[in-house]
Amino acid sequence: MNVIEVKNLTKTYKDFKAVDDVSFTVEEGIIFGMLGPNGAGKTTTIECAAGLKKPDSGQVRILDMDALRVGKKLYDFVGVQLQETSYQDKIKVKELCDFFASMYENSSDYEPLLARFNLTAKKNNYMTQLSGGEKQKVAIILALIANPKVVFLDELTTGLDPQARREMWAYIKELKAEGRTVFMTTHYMEEAEFLCDQICLIDVGKIVITDTVEGVIEHAKLETEVRFKAGKEAADYLRGNLSEVRAVEYTEGFVKVFSEKEDIITDIILLLNGKHIAYKQIDIHRPGLEDAFLKLTGKAWRD
Amino acid sequence: MKLLLKTISVEWKMNIRNFLNIFFSLIFPVMMLLLFGSMYGNEPSEYYQGYGSVDVSTAGYLCMIIAVSGLMTLPITLSQYREKKILKRYMATPIKPFDILLSQLVVNAGVTAVGSGLLIIIGIIVFDLKFYGNLLYVIPAVILIMLAIFSIGLLIAGIAPNSKAALAITYVIYFPMLFLSGATLPLDFMPDVVVTISKALPLTYGGELLNGLWVGGTPGTYLTERFVLLGVFVVFAGLSIKTFKWE
Repeated sequence: MNVIEVKNLTKTYKDFKAVDDVSFTVEEGIIFGMLGPNGAGKTTTIECAAGLKKPDSGQVRILDMDALRVGKKLYDFVGVQLQETSYQDKIKVKELCDFFASMYENSSDYEPLLARFNLTAKKNNYMTQLSGGEKQKVAIILALIANPKVVFLDELTTGLDPQARREMWAYIKELKAEGRTVFMTTHYMEEAEFLCDQICLIDVGKIVITDTVEGVIEHAKLETEVRFKAGKEAADYLRGNLSEVRAVEYTEGFVKVFSEKEDIITDIILLLNGKHIAYKQIDIHRPGLEDAFLKLTGKAWRD
Repeated sequence: MKLLLKTISVEWKMNIRNFLNIFFSLIFPVMMLLLFGSMYGNEPSEYYQGYGSVDVSTAGYLCMIIAVSGLMTLPITLSQYREKKILKRYMATPIKPFDILLSQLVVNAGVTAVGSGLLIIIGIIVFDLKFYGNLLYVIPAVILIMLAIFSIGLLIAGIAPNSKAALAITYVIYFPMLFLSGATLPLDFMPDVVVTISKALPLTYGGELLNGLWVGGTPGTYLTERFVLLGVFVVFAGLSIKTFKWE
């Protein structure tokens, strides 16, 4: 079942097309990541999808509701974390949670949420006294307070240190384990690779591709590069006997094999062992999303 | 309704935890009262048609408190909320946008009431402040002045591009109004040019109206003042509802 359906979404600011005919669907219970460099149109897309911004054209359906017209009812089912939101200077963590809890008819108790996010000790602190990671945890708590089926996370981990980011990743996985559908944006490749069941690459307002991480890499027809130390006879032997390779190179004592076949290493080892050719220091460079982005857009990834 | 009350109680806490708000709404007006009161006393004087100096200045100080809440606290708070995307975050909740504005208006009216009460009590204790008017005239007049001044503040909040701009606009409007409207310094002693300028400031009409009613005047005498204040309210409230930017 599709929880989110976005069709032909277009949004222009003055003469700048932020989002250009974007369509995608998100299945129930997955983590869907929109990945793209800064300014690619991620925030505009997520805000339109969350019913917070009116697109110039296009449709958004969430849980079979017309997100652009259903009004406030949407937020009984959809929890939102917005990029760069801060809170009142003089509000305490528990006051903020209590206030948000009071907004919903069926809100969950926020004390267990505070405990789960390891914030119980900080509940009497002012929001301004929290670290960046702690503020983002509060942002997730507020998004979860109505116990929503769908959670929107806009660049949740941007600006966090690596440790805090890892912690957030665990929490996002938990949301999925609870059966919620997560729609997140990020400009961190490794975050998308680690978390997302499906990703959608976006660049200058247009979707480049929507698929699983493996699917995107496969689609980009990227080569795996295997490099190891061996004599020139190894290169010559492999060149003559390996199938499905683009090239076998030999330079300065190293053999390099380039192939689209992901498990080409098995073939190489079998051949070399069979012929009793010595080799050492094997390195395998498997293509990642960064290489895929470069291949698909012709542009180097810029953070 | 329950949510509106909750919003008001949260925003009330935020407001009174802000030292600048407390200083300008509660402490500063009392300081002015004590300063000018100790200079001129509150003995009946020919200058003031037989009233004491404090008796005829208190209405001005009350206007000053209204102006602090309406022209400073209100626009600065709301523009900060927009800048910090607090307003936008509220859009993704069941809270009604109008309730957010309403809660700010109510909270600032509340702070104005507390500040006014404090000022009047200290006036009575220290200077034997006397009230010659009718509360049934004075309270609606105070509400009318608040509506007019708060709607100006709402417009500033709605159109200021960021909180720095809001701060600049409020300073440029608030301080001249404070000194040129007769709220703190009597216009009778001012040069003609200041009196002319003061005619362009809504707070001047508020001060005239409230002062007149304080010393026993009736609303009928102040038709112009009431008409101007009502006009300011209608125009500015209309404009601010039309132009308010949530992000």
